[in-house]
Amino acid sequence: MIRIDDVSIAYGRGLRRVLAVNGVSLEAERGDSLALIGPSGCGKSTLLFSIAGLLTPCAGTISIDGQPTSKPRRDVALILQNAGLLPWKTVWQNANLSLRLGREPREKTAADVLQELGLYDVRDRFPSELSEGMKRRVGVARALSTSPSVMLMDEPLASLDTLTRERIQDLFLRLWQKHGFSLLVVTHDIEEAAFLGQRIIVLSDLPATVKTVVENPEMGDLAFRRSDAFHNTVGALREALEQ
Amino acid sequence: MTSPKMETPNQAKKADWFERLRRQGALYQIARYVASIVLLLACWEIASLIITAVKGRALLPDPFRAISEVIRLAPILFQHFWVSAWRLVLAMLLAFSAGYPLGLLIGHERKLDEIISPIIYIVYPIPQVAFILLLFLVFGIGNPVKVAIVAVALFFQILVSARGAAKLIEQEHLTSVLSAGASRWQVYRHVVLPSTLPSILTSLRVSVGLGMAFLYIAETTATMAPGLGSFVKSSQFNQAQAFAGILMMAVLGLILYIVIDILERVLCRWKYVRRRGS
Repeated sequence: MIRIDDVSIAYGRGLRRVLAVNGVSLEAERGDSLALIGPSGCGKSTLLFSIAGLLTPCAGTISIDGQPTSKPRRDVALILQNAGLLPWKTVWQNANLSLRLGREPREKTAADVLQELGLYDVRDRFPSELSEGMKRRVGVARALSTSPSVMLMDEPLASLDTLTRERIQDLFLRLWQKHGFSLLVVTHDIEEAAFLGQRIIVLSDLPATVKTVVENPEMGDLAFRRSDAFHNTVGALREALEQ
Repeated sequence: MTSPKMETPNQAKKADWFERLRRQGALYQIARYVASIVLLLACWEIASLIITAVKGRALLPDPFRAISEVIRLAPILFQHFWVSAWRLVLAMLLAFSAGYPLGLLIGHERKLDEIISPIIYIVYPIPQVAFILLLFLVFGIGNPVKVAIVAVALFFQILVSARGAAKLIEQEHLTSVLSAGASRWQVYRHVVLPSTLPSILTSLRVSVGLGMAFLYIAETTATMAPGLGSFVKSSQFNQAQAFAGILMMAVLGLILYIVIDILERVLCRWKYVRRRGS
């Protein structure tokens, strides 16, 4: 269970100190899917990095399964905006990196994940030889290789064309349902939030506060994108963001 | 009617080797070097003819005279060549092994940067030639001082490059490994070292030219021990012989450039793959 209790996060020092997140409280049960949406630069990525244990809040607490997230945890995976692949490592080395850093040479797992995502045949290629969509899938492979209980995504599909974006959103949904991890997606794309979030947290402009929470219980099906419920959620989100 | 030609295993092996070179673009590289050498020799010949016509004396020997001097003096020249080569290579290795890690540490660790960078900014602009006397006093007049002069000059060059390269590491790459729980050593091993390697190899290439200049100074100051520098200086009244020495310096530089190029192709393989869309 992820518990965010009255969290405020600031960065910079002295006169350059900026309050990025102000008094945010959230809860997500194991296996829940949450989307965080808000204007660009509102502090939503800062909140995500704090959940990943990369930033320490100046007030409030963040805990996963009752443990405070004061540093990165092996069971929490973070997928970055451009997949965060290291250009000097091959697909295989990138996918296996988290396992290697954890000194757990369970190479079979990385191979399984590459197979599952259809990347095994390109395992010896470097990221620069891949399409943008493939790069994002390698990022997913790396995150999945450690079998995380929490998957954090920071605008994982930014700058992709619509069809590729939708295909990878479908993949995220399938993986979430199959592996049962808790999913937290930060996005500024309304449709992405509506497709991937059971609950969508709408954040205000800087410093981020919770503006409203939109429940989206009917998500979870690939056909949801074409349903009325999807369009209703998109409409509700648009209204909340424009307020 | 002629029977089809059968390839012997040796011929097949040669053909394989040739094909592999062709595929790796090595033949194109070799052709480029050969063309450059021919162009350079032609320019040299023209310059020699012009200077002779203007001054009425052959002040600049033509390249063929210099090459024939290289052939004539080959045994002596190679002795000087090896002495200079090991001095330069040793100095480069010393400068690299001290300057690269220190530069990375300063560039990547903010607190260390705040303390050490001002010292570097004060010392780096001082011409390293100014330290030569001090180095002679510390190391005497043997081989160590010659290596030390070159190493000190290259150390600052590599240190400043490594610091700059470490400062330009993309935050995304660092976040990527930190979020997976990387230790400080793992951050260096998986991100800092590989991402700075191309810049450092470029800096090493620049160091070859700078190192040759300092080697010449080191080999011609105070002593006349073996080395291409002292060979050129002692041949100052025989221009063809002096240019034979200069040619050997060029060969030494070229060999080092090629070695660094090969190192880059091996260590930075990702830079040489065909990029998607290219």
